[in-house]
Amino acid sequence: MVATERSASAGRSPHDPLDFAAALSRSFAATRDVDATIRHALTHIVELMQVEAGAIFLTDETGGNLICRASAGPVNIDGLVVPQGHGIVGRSVADDVVLVVENAYDNEAFYAEADKRTGFITRSILCAPMTVGSNRIGAVEVLNKYDGQPFDDADQNMLKVVASSAGLAISNARLAAKLVEQERLKRELELAAAIQRSLLPPADDTLPIAGINRPMREVSGDFYDFFQTPDGIIAFCLGDVSGKGMNAALLMAKTASLFRCLGKTMHDPARLAGVLNREICDTASLGMFVTMVIGIYDPATGMLNFTNAGHMPPLLRRADGVTETFAAEAPPLGILREARYATQNLPLDRGQFFLYSDGLTEFPAGYDELGIDGLDRILAKQTDTRLADRLAAVLQELDETGGQARDDLTLLAIDDRLAAHANGRQMTAAFEDGEFLVGFTLISNPNRLRILRPALLAAATACGFETEDAHDFVLGAVEAVENIMIHAYGGGKTGEITLAMHRLPDGIMLRIRDFAPRVDPAKIQPRLLEDVRPGGLGTHFIRTVMDDASFIPMPEGEGNLLELVKRRRTGQE
Amino acid sequence: MPVDQISEANSRIVIALRGEIDLETAPAVRKALLDNLKGGKDLLIDLAQVSYIDSSGIASLVESLQLARKQGHDVALVAVSPRALRVLELARLDKVFTIHADLASALAVNDKTAQQ
Repeated sequence: MVATERSASAGRSPHDPLDFAAALSRSFAATRDVDATIRHALTHIVELMQVEAGAIFLTDETGGNLICRASAGPVNIDGLVVPQGHGIVGRSVADDVVLVVENAYDNEAFYAEADKRTGFITRSILCAPMTVGSNRIGAVEVLNKYDGQPFDDADQNMLKVVASSAGLAISNARLAAKLVEQERLKRELELAAAIQRSLLPPADDTLPIAGINRPMREVSGDFYDFFQTPDGIIAFCLGDVSGKGMNAALLMAKTASLFRCLGKTMHDPARLAGVLNREICDTASLGMFVTMVIGIYDPATGMLNFTNAGHMPPLLRRADGVTETFAAEAPPLGILREARYATQNLPLDRGQFFLYSDGLTEFPAGYDELGIDGLDRILAKQTDTRLADRLAAVLQELDETGGQARDDLTLLAIDDRLAAHANGRQMTAAFEDGEFLVGFTLISNPNRLRILRPALLAAATACGFETEDAHDFVLGAVEAVENIMIHAYGGGKTGEITLAMHRLPDGIMLRIRDFAPRVDPAKIQPRLLEDVRPGGLGTHFIRTVMDDASFIPMPEGEGNLLELVKRRRTGQE
Repeated sequence: MPVDQISEANSRIVIALRGEIDLETAPAVRKALLDNLKGGKDLLIDLAQVSYIDSSGIASLVESLQLARKQGHDVALVAVSPRALRVLELARLDKVFTIHADLASALAVNDKTAQQ
């Protein structure tokens, strides 16, 4: 332990240490500049203690070394670093005790380095630790009383009071500064989120494309973009940056900006992906990458070209209701500088094309995740006219499950039906209204229905029916054929049935003829709905799904001719 | 093959149908349903893989339901695809049959006989 030598009380300072401590606290509370306040406080301490020099050391927040943050006296030792536990000041802090040294050079703990460098000669030292709870803030050290006397008990008590007051004030000021910093970071995150939102394209109901993004935190690692070039082509992308938080957000901003800039002149998605990949490889910090689908879409033709860089498989809901997905064949951007990307060509043909982030497929659904199938089921259900509303409804449906998203949710959709409508483009462009489309002759063997159904569906689609309505048409037509097989031919498998389909301005007409004895139309009645007996159900289906079902009078012996008409729903074409 | 798989779980018979159920395939479906009702157990009919069903198939479902109810049993439908549901709705039978979202939730329903 440090030897101390006490003498009789020497001259007291004219100032009251308690007044001083109070004033010190007030000055700390009034400022956010901790350093300036420390310097100011030290000046007063030196004056109060009647000493030649003084210094305030603070523990550096990582290592525990003591750093001189303010010095007063003939030489400036600001910035002097005293290793942890060294010197009088180090011991004072380490042991949390007030130390008095009457003759510094007789004390083995004295750290003479400062004297050597400055030429100052330290004689006596009084050092008091600044501690708040278990938190070692630092210490206040004063050197050489003017009157040459050693530091006495009164000096010790005074410095103890002043040091603990200063310690508390510094601790408070640091906490306040931390709060201010947190508040500033929060504001910056909000600003970053606002900037990110501004990078997303504005909704445009005149385009057959829309997107939605809901970040899990303030900032998102997901993004999407689309814009129309002067020649009408729509360039689009959807990406997901690895990681979350600010670094992901910054890489997202960079990738989105590069896409928007390069996409205006480069219309080959694979080439664009190659350029983005090399740029991200060269400049992004190691280990960060971007999964992304980049594409262009021509609303005039419905042709879509895209490349998939390690992203979730795009999903195509075809006009016939079948769903296809396209797995990535190339790695994410930013991993392999020499990666090659290929463009896939996909005619949308009145289908709907969806891009999404894994936040959607990994959305909790019961004990499992939603998955691509689950997402597809939800997408299939959406019926809103506005594409943007359909996307919002998808997120709302997820919310209503009560599940909590574990990641950003991002969804982009292209609806080629909207483009086909807006452009007057139809898959049926080759077909003319009133035109005879196709005819069939089959025997009344039910196994022929397998062959008939796809042709009926294709004919309905060629007449501009939406998927669900086209399937209804198939149901009604097959029921009519089955009725003939059961009732007209009585289950015999050799009777002949002919079908002829015509395109109408507002739908489709199907004529079905058999060569069986005459059927009394009065006997073909819709079943009573309470009656679940098999039989009349088929007729009920025909009447429900068709707009018109009537027998055309035929001469005796010429069989029966049933004419079925289904019209498109208004507002559909 | 319209009848894809027949299994027994939680004292119910699960019959998974597949593909297109029409005048051609309905007789096999009808036979499978009626045969399996002879075991005196509830039936669960899994329609997840059914891409088409019309009045012929619906008639088989209804017939099995009627027979099962006479015997004090039930026939419930599982994983009804949107298209099959559309046909059930057209027939106004969507409220007549108990419909379960998937097999797990169908099997989670306590056995009626066990409750009694």
